[in-house]
Amino acid sequence: MILRYIDGPEVRFRQKDKIFVDMEFYHSDEVFHDMELRRMFPVSGKNKYIAVLDGEGNEQAMIRDVANLDAQSREAVESCLEEYYMMPKILRFIDMTDKFGIWMWTAETERGIVKFEIRNHITAVKPLFDHRVLIKDANDNRYEIPDYTKLDKKSLKMILPNL
Amino acid sequence: MNFMSNSPLSEAVMKQAETILGDDNVLFAVVGDLKMDGSYGTSALVFGRDRVAAFDESYENGYTVVEYESIERAKVKRLYGNALFRVKYPDGKWQSLIRFSYAAADLADAAAIYMEACRDEGYSDDLVEIVHSTYVKMRSFCPKCGRKLPSPDAPCINCTGKSKMFSKLAKYVLPEKWNLLFCILLSAVTTGLSLIPTYITSIMVDDVIPNHNMTKLIKIIVFLVTLYLVQYVLTGVRQYRLRCASDGIITGLKKDIFAKAQYLPMRFYDKSSTGSVINRVNSDTQTVKEFVMKISQEAIVQFFTMIGIIVIMFSIDWQLALLALCPIPIVVMISRRFRKLVAPKYRRLWRRHSAISTMLSDSIPGIRVIKAFSNEKSVIHKFDRYCDEWRKEDQKTGLYAAIFPTLITFFVTCGSILIWAVGGKWAINGEYGVSAGILVSFISYAATFYNPVNFFANLSDSYENAIASAEKILDIIDAEPEHDFGDYKDAEPLQGKIEFKNVNFSFDRSKKVLSNINLTIEPGDIVGIVGTTGSGKSTLINLIMRYYDDYEGEIFVDGKNIKDIDMSYFRSQIGFVQQEPLMFRDSVFNNIAYGCGEVHVEQVLHAAQIANAHTFISKMPDAYDTILGERGVGLSGGEKQRVSIARAVLKNPGILIFDEATAAVDSETEYLIQGAIEKLIRGRTTIMIAHRLSTLRKANKIVVVDKGEIIECGPPEELMRRKGKYYKLVQIQSMSEQLLKEKQSENLE
Repeated sequence: MILRYIDGPEVRFRQKDKIFVDMEFYHSDEVFHDMELRRMFPVSGKNKYIAVLDGEGNEQAMIRDVANLDAQSREAVESCLEEYYMMPKILRFIDMTDKFGIWMWTAETERGIVKFEIRNHITAVKPLFDHRVLIKDANDNRYEIPDYTKLDKKSLKMILPNL
Repeated sequence: MNFMSNSPLSEAVMKQAETILGDDNVLFAVVGDLKMDGSYGTSALVFGRDRVAAFDESYENGYTVVEYESIERAKVKRLYGNALFRVKYPDGKWQSLIRFSYAAADLADAAAIYMEACRDEGYSDDLVEIVHSTYVKMRSFCPKCGRKLPSPDAPCINCTGKSKMFSKLAKYVLPEKWNLLFCILLSAVTTGLSLIPTYITSIMVDDVIPNHNMTKLIKIIVFLVTLYLVQYVLTGVRQYRLRCASDGIITGLKKDIFAKAQYLPMRFYDKSSTGSVINRVNSDTQTVKEFVMKISQEAIVQFFTMIGIIVIMFSIDWQLALLALCPIPIVVMISRRFRKLVAPKYRRLWRRHSAISTMLSDSIPGIRVIKAFSNEKSVIHKFDRYCDEWRKEDQKTGLYAAIFPTLITFFVTCGSILIWAVGGKWAINGEYGVSAGILVSFISYAATFYNPVNFFANLSDSYENAIASAEKILDIIDAEPEHDFGDYKDAEPLQGKIEFKNVNFSFDRSKKVLSNINLTIEPGDIVGIVGTTGSGKSTLINLIMRYYDDYEGEIFVDGKNIKDIDMSYFRSQIGFVQQEPLMFRDSVFNNIAYGCGEVHVEQVLHAAQIANAHTFISKMPDAYDTILGERGVGLSGGEKQRVSIARAVLKNPGILIFDEATAAVDSETEYLIQGAIEKLIRGRTTIMIAHRLSTLRKANKIVVVDKGEIIECGPPEELMRRKGKYYKLVQIQSMSEQLLKEKQSENLE
């Protein structure tokens, strides 16, 4: 199937019920209801190449860059993605205890304070090339440190041994 | 049944729930850790017999109630890193009741099933049982520290102290206890002997030299020669016995890790790289062994040396002895600080080391792919980077490892200088009865005394290194092996009746791979499983093979739950032919006879004949003695496949599974393999996964899997009549085959 790319001006999105959007093509008058959005690069490029899926999970279109959409559509798409993708940003580490490879972390995120457990620090903590760090806890929830070098001294001391 | 909840429910919410649902109707709760706006907070679903109360601060009054009767569907919608519990009303509208992270997703799934079942059948205790079993599975946390356990009621690794960790490692030391004790005894003797020359120094300085006593000098020399001879002979014997003991320890550790690795569930390998496992067998065992030897030998010897010297020093001169002890507190302080600083460095170092191992174990076996894509430079660059990172980290650690012992040695030397200064003054002034001889021997004892002090101060370095390695070793040794609770064995082969009952499965909580699978396969059935890539076909097979045991629901074979059947007996009853059969570096004969123990040559030849493999094997110069390269190098894809079918023939299993057995071969080879398969499947329950539907022409039942669910099941003719998904797949394949034929004929013309 050939991907139907969306460059921006030809389409309008409207948000419905948190994670769903309606997609309307101006020139063909096509309207797609209750579509879901998925990032093709949830880690490396959050607002580029967003797949638009129907209720069956079939891909109907691909947004090349959210920035090229009109303001209202952009807001709808971003809000929808924000609802779907939950990867709290860790602002600082409050506490960390470690024994035999099992870690209990308490961290402050932009969504509040969270406690989570890591079973294997080798596979659960993934440093990326641009100082970002991704953490996957024992329940498969994800967290992100946008730039570990910008963490406070105490937090840095806790995370550095795992990088 | 008692009230069940995945997390404690606040009293206020509980009271409200009791008011809404009725005191006796509060059955269980799913407590979420997110508010509806996605911030961290508490939300809850409290389930009763006929309705559910959803608590979240976004609701007016803090809650809303949904009657089971009023909904059409209940579903957990998994998002990225979080999930929503949603209900659908008959008018087609969906409502999200609460939001939660994946921690509560499994229980929420069970709750959704409960809700729909209550709506359809009305409340019954059996329905709560579904939730209860999920709840028990989830309840695998330590009552002491609250951490997740590998399985319900498994011991908590966190709450087993370090002493417990060492006691686990002691298992490998105990078989060598006599060797080690003998070595300690020899150490004590040699250490005692090594202290004598220092005492003789004071006799020389105070008696022999001032009195020009030649006879005594000769006696001393003869005594010293004998003493050193005995000392070095004993040291040689000790070193040999120590080597034997350490070899015993490391062999035991390696054997156990390797043996355990064979029984670890597939989930472990899904998450751990093979490189890191190899690293644990090779490198970490070495580190732990070295530390064990240090502790069991040197530490004991050094400890007694230290005590012995302290006693001697106090007996010679207590004031000088106290001076000698002055640097000890500083040394202890520095050593403790060092331990804290160096521990994280070793962990980072381990990561770098493991990255190199992983890269090696990935790239060397994949060398063909690397060459095919001319990717050598990129791989070399990546490996260089890993090596450089390791070197950088090792140098950093090395810096600490160099600075701290030097600092310690410096303070220890200061202790010697103190003795020189104060003791020298006392000897010159003749104070406190300190003679030149006493001072010289004291300085000598002090130097010997600081050796054990240095040893213990620097022990933390190897201790932290060993702890990092021991963690990794115990990660395997303590890991939960494949469950094998069953002891059912039958002398007769399995008949081959397979039943799936309400089976749900997910690799992680983010996506359900199989949902609500109900399927019955009768003995002798030939079942084709079809579906698009990623639909869950192979997962279905993985569950039959018991590669994954933590699914919900039950799978029965011949009426027995597969979890109750002895694992090795069960697997021996299944012949599994994969798309890419794995060959071992061994002869063709042994590759066919793999896992069959002692088999007669003719049985192997017969199996090869049935598998259409005999002809090509016999044409090879070394025939059945041909040694295959790693992963079957020397055989084509189709040949490897036929060898693997011969393996299955030899096993004579009751159930046969083919997972895309002919997907990677040409039509001619497919014809040969197909012929082999048809000979093999006669009278056996056979499950075949195939993309090419033509390979399923013998199937009497087709199962169509889509998005983890069985959407069609029945005889192929019936499915064709239904004109559903199977019909469409057949049509698509026929069209593409037709097109291919036309294309081929055009080219021929």
